[in-house]
Amino acid sequence: MSRIDYKNAGSILNPLKSLSFFARPAVTEPLEPRRAALRYRGFHLNDWEKCVGCSTCQKVCDNAAITMVRVPSLPEDPLQGVRNLRPAIDYGRCCWCALCVDLCPTGSLSLSREYVHICNDDELSSYFVLPDPNGMHKAFYGEGWNKTAENDLVDPHRQPMGELEAEARIGHFGEILNGYDRQQAIIEASRCVQCGMCHDACPTQMDAPEYIRAIWQDDLEEAVRQIYNTNPFAHTCGRVCTHRCETACSIGKRGEPIAIRWLKRYVVDAFTPQQISTIVGKPALPPSGRKVAVIGSGPAGLTTAYDLARQGHTVTVFEGLDKPGGMPRWGIPEYRLPYDRLDADIAVIEAMGVEIRCNTWIGSDISLQQLHQDYDAVMLALGLQLGRSTRVPGSDHARVVKAVEVLRWVTGGESFDVPRSAVVIGGGNVAMDAARSLARLQRQTYEEVRVTVCALEDFDHFLADPAEVRESTEEGIVILDGRGPQECVIENGTVVGLRTLKVDSIFDEQHRFAPKYDESDRRLHEGEMIIEAIGQMTDTELLGDALTEALAWNRGRLQVDAYGRTSEPWLWAAGDMVHGPDVVHAVADGHRAAHSIHQYLTSEALQETAS
Amino acid sequence: MTQNAEGHVSGRDRLRASKTVGEILETAISFERTARDFYSALSGKVSKRIRWLVDELAEEEQRHFDLFTELMQRDDIATQVQARIATPVADPKFSDCIHLPDLGDSPDDQSVLQYALGREHAAMEQYGELAASTEPGPIRDLFVFLAAEETQHKAELEKLYYEIVHSGGV
Repeated sequence: MSRIDYKNAGSILNPLKSLSFFARPAVTEPLEPRRAALRYRGFHLNDWEKCVGCSTCQKVCDNAAITMVRVPSLPEDPLQGVRNLRPAIDYGRCCWCALCVDLCPTGSLSLSREYVHICNDDELSSYFVLPDPNGMHKAFYGEGWNKTAENDLVDPHRQPMGELEAEARIGHFGEILNGYDRQQAIIEASRCVQCGMCHDACPTQMDAPEYIRAIWQDDLEEAVRQIYNTNPFAHTCGRVCTHRCETACSIGKRGEPIAIRWLKRYVVDAFTPQQISTIVGKPALPPSGRKVAVIGSGPAGLTTAYDLARQGHTVTVFEGLDKPGGMPRWGIPEYRLPYDRLDADIAVIEAMGVEIRCNTWIGSDISLQQLHQDYDAVMLALGLQLGRSTRVPGSDHARVVKAVEVLRWVTGGESFDVPRSAVVIGGGNVAMDAARSLARLQRQTYEEVRVTVCALEDFDHFLADPAEVRESTEEGIVILDGRGPQECVIENGTVVGLRTLKVDSIFDEQHRFAPKYDESDRRLHEGEMIIEAIGQMTDTELLGDALTEALAWNRGRLQVDAYGRTSEPWLWAAGDMVHGPDVVHAVADGHRAAHSIHQYLTSEALQETAS
Repeated sequence: MTQNAEGHVSGRDRLRASKTVGEILETAISFERTARDFYSALSGKVSKRIRWLVDELAEEEQRHFDLFTELMQRDDIATQVQARIATPVADPKFSDCIHLPDLGDSPDDQSVLQYALGREHAAMEQYGELAASTEPGPIRDLFVFLAAEETQHKAELEKLYYEIVHSGGV
């Protein structure tokens, strides 16, 4: 500063110096912008084919520059994790940090090398843009900043789940999976981008992002609260849920989906049922004075009971067998769902005041009409307890049995003549459960496994969970796809095997069942016992002829409204018997029925009837 | 089933004895009528839980009955009724359906479906054989049409069978 003589006013002619510029040519720049750097952060590009509308970009944007816009013409499929939303960018807010790009689960977003946009005052809305792959002005300037291995903030790899090797697990019914430890669970939870696709896909609309965030924050009590907002079968669903949430998970579009099911298991395994009951609590409501009977103690029935008990109603659950739990206990082997974990779920439900009466068959021990008289509302949650038969020749032999019967024997510890060799007909999870249970019994009894599964479907259309198929194969079970059962072969009164034909195709062009067989490919599969696992149905005998006639039916199933209410105002139905087999669907059904029953119990009409 | 029912020995004999398209169409109509009456009578006997299935089968047979009756009344079909055709001997697959299960008074849904599938299969094959043994022309087109109708119905029943019987095993 000291070298500048700021007191010197200069020559009085100094302003005239500017006249010298008259003689110089003007310096001009072309309107076309100069080409930006290869990794330039210009305007956004969005590949609509890749984008699933998960809204992760919107959530991560600190400047709130992104708004998700619904585009009705785009597909919307919650089960597949697809929303018809697309991000719109407000360039009055955007700071081009590119976090939206770095965290985009699908990799649909990138920034272009285009950076010039000029408009008049009346065109300011043109700074609010719905980007597409073509660029801001429909002139593609090339991709600038995009997702690379260096800047990708999405971790595509799931934390591995430890499990027993086949040789170590085949000789017993102990649980196969180890479960996550604390470090694994927190790392796995940290992969979640909180998009909520899982919530939309879950039949119970589970608050999965919230409990995953709580796990990441190491606040497991909060995680329990979030889980129990929608699901009192947390131990069960933490192990055997069909986890549609993971199919919808946006991380799964490029990598492995978040292990949402296993994270749930991690949370609830950390507490005793008593601790969970305390954390969840019970609303301090006075008794309503209303009584509800629930028939069936599976997920649908007990979920309804749980909700209604928490609302102050007196709920009694009637179970015909000697232990509660329904199909999760009597149809799912213990190596997949240990009974003490199911018991833990039930203990929490009982802690809410639900009474469960086992060894009580409605229809024989107590009539349904009696329940109708004694209770304000009755709920049917009967499940799909009867097995279907192929009815091929020989299928009426005593050593041709239904899979649900075999699984019931195993759960009940009933002794039966374990076959040295067996054939299972079917390609669903029940078939795998029966095959794997028999394999364990064979290993214990004969030290070898000789089970063959014959499925009508080919592997491309297999119904069983791929993990079940893989594990079954590891355990020495032979799985044959595309085999159509023709006859249970019986020699001298003894079952010797199943004869099948090769299925050339099972569905026609319209994906309708239209099996075509190759008559020249006929095989006999050795088996002293044949287990049929082709399908199940509900035993509705307890309804009796008069009520069966009075009720409305819908193609073989009880007709119910959206909340499970039948055509009889006092009777509800939910779960597998109404909507097919699936634990988490049954839980969702149970909630809906409970809501409807509660509305009914507190309705003015019922109050007037009571008075 | 009555002695004149489709798939029964006497029904096969009637078809074999038929010498004109008109006679065969009449036989086909009588098959549909018999089947419709059979399912209608069964509907009152089965549980309400599966009555929808029996009612649908009766409706489908009625639809065929109406369709074939309408065909009989068409002028362009009437001109063909004197044309004589060679009626093939039914192959063993058709004869198999003589032994359709006795449904009894209270069959379940699977039995009804298996029974219906057997009937449709027999009808499909019979019409197919008639079509194959007829010279190209309107008459053959008629049998091809009838065979396609039965094939379509069988396809629908197979889809239904898969949905009902194989629905709960996963």
